Amino acid sequence: MSVDRAASRPRTVSQPGAPDERELISRVSGRDLAAFEKLYRIYQPRLTRFLSNLVQRPQLMEEVLDDTMMVVWETAQSFRGTSRLSTWIFSIAYRKAIKARARWPDPIEDQPDLGQPSPDPNPHQLLQHRRLHDALAAAMQSLSADHRAVVDLTYFHGLGYREIAEVMDCPVDTVKTRMFHARRRLRQAMPGSVSDWV
Amino acid sequence: MNSDRLVSDPHEQAEELLPWYATGQLDAGDRSMVEDHLSTCARCQRQLAVERRLIDEFQAVSPEADSGWARLRGRIEAPAPRRRKSVGDLATDLWHLLTRPAVAALATAQLALLAVAAALVPYFTTPAYEALGSSEASPSANVIILFRPEATVGDMRDTLKASGASLVGGPTAADAYLLHVPAGKRPAALEKLQADDDVMMAEPIDEATR
Repeated sequence: MSVDRAASRPRTVSQPGAPDERELISRVSGRDLAAFEKLYRIYQPRLTRFLSNLVQRPQLMEEVLDDTMMVVWETAQSFRGTSRLSTWIFSIAYRKAIKARARWPDPIEDQPDLGQPSPDPNPHQLLQHRRLHDALAAAMQSLSADHRAVVDLTYFHGLGYREIAEVMDCPVDTVKTRMFHARRRLRQAMPGSVSDWV
Repeated sequence: MNSDRLVSDPHEQAEELLPWYATGQLDAGDRSMVEDHLSTCARCQRQLAVERRLIDEFQAVSPEADSGWARLRGRIEAPAPRRRKSVGDLATDLWHLLTRPAVAALATAQLALLAVAAALVPYFTTPAYEALGSSEASPSANVIILFRPEATVGDMRDTLKASGASLVGGPTAADAYLLHVPAGKRPAALEKLQADDDVMMAEPIDEATR
């Protein structure tokens, strides 16, 4: 086939569910607070990012994050390992976020956090990068919370479409359709033609 | 191939899976299908390059420095708010019992006892008189529910609203609550309640004799 094998190598996306995480959750189920702290420090940044797509009030997001990790602490023994740990934790977070959104239906519309662009010594490249970053952030903002969540779970958290369906408790076709729609919006928002930056 | 949807166009099938192909999250069947299509479709090859650029953008993240761990640890170590300590401990112990197979039968028996006890509560607590103008009696409990210790009042309210249940009584001595749902909707309501992550236990109970 004509596809460049080297170019087709998957991007390195964070791979949750590593053996050390499984060991951590096992210790957490035994009420090991030190293990829970380690797990918290792994998942707090990831949950912050994931939840920022769903709950845009900072205080509410913090509350949802804490509630999520409290459920992990209290019910760690119910994690059977049939799915990745990240899928289980994101499922809890998603349900908590949906409930929080029901309580606070009018979120403050903020720019979703795509993360800080990497430092770039070249001012021209930095400007281009900034433009792309801003354009994508604006495009993300134009999407629904559920569309944003699917995009972020795919591109940042490295979940497969079946895992996302499990997290969001929806059919896999819904995940694919949301992603398809979101990608079109993101592509349209990119500055210049695709060939300018691909 | 493993795509769950009957999309007849191979191009569409491959195109919608490109994000997960790019992140290496497809199973062998899906991956093979996408690679076969990529070998003949210049448009999807360009799309794949776009996917990689998007991944790079979304991956460019600085982890948050402030962890909030101290706040959460304080919550773990603090006594459960608005909850009698012995009751909170009982609920936690009950949950632990339920999740240990070796004592599952015993736990089930305890739950049965709890349900029977709870079902009797309205019988004993129903006032012997009705206020003037109260044309109909309040509905009887037909569900007993035990929330998780960490569930907030807001969580409880949302759970009840989502399941269409109304609060009839409680908290009982075991910190359970008694709910009423319309008889025809009880199976669906129970399913929702049992799937709710704020709920430790939700079981049907027979209506108390009045």
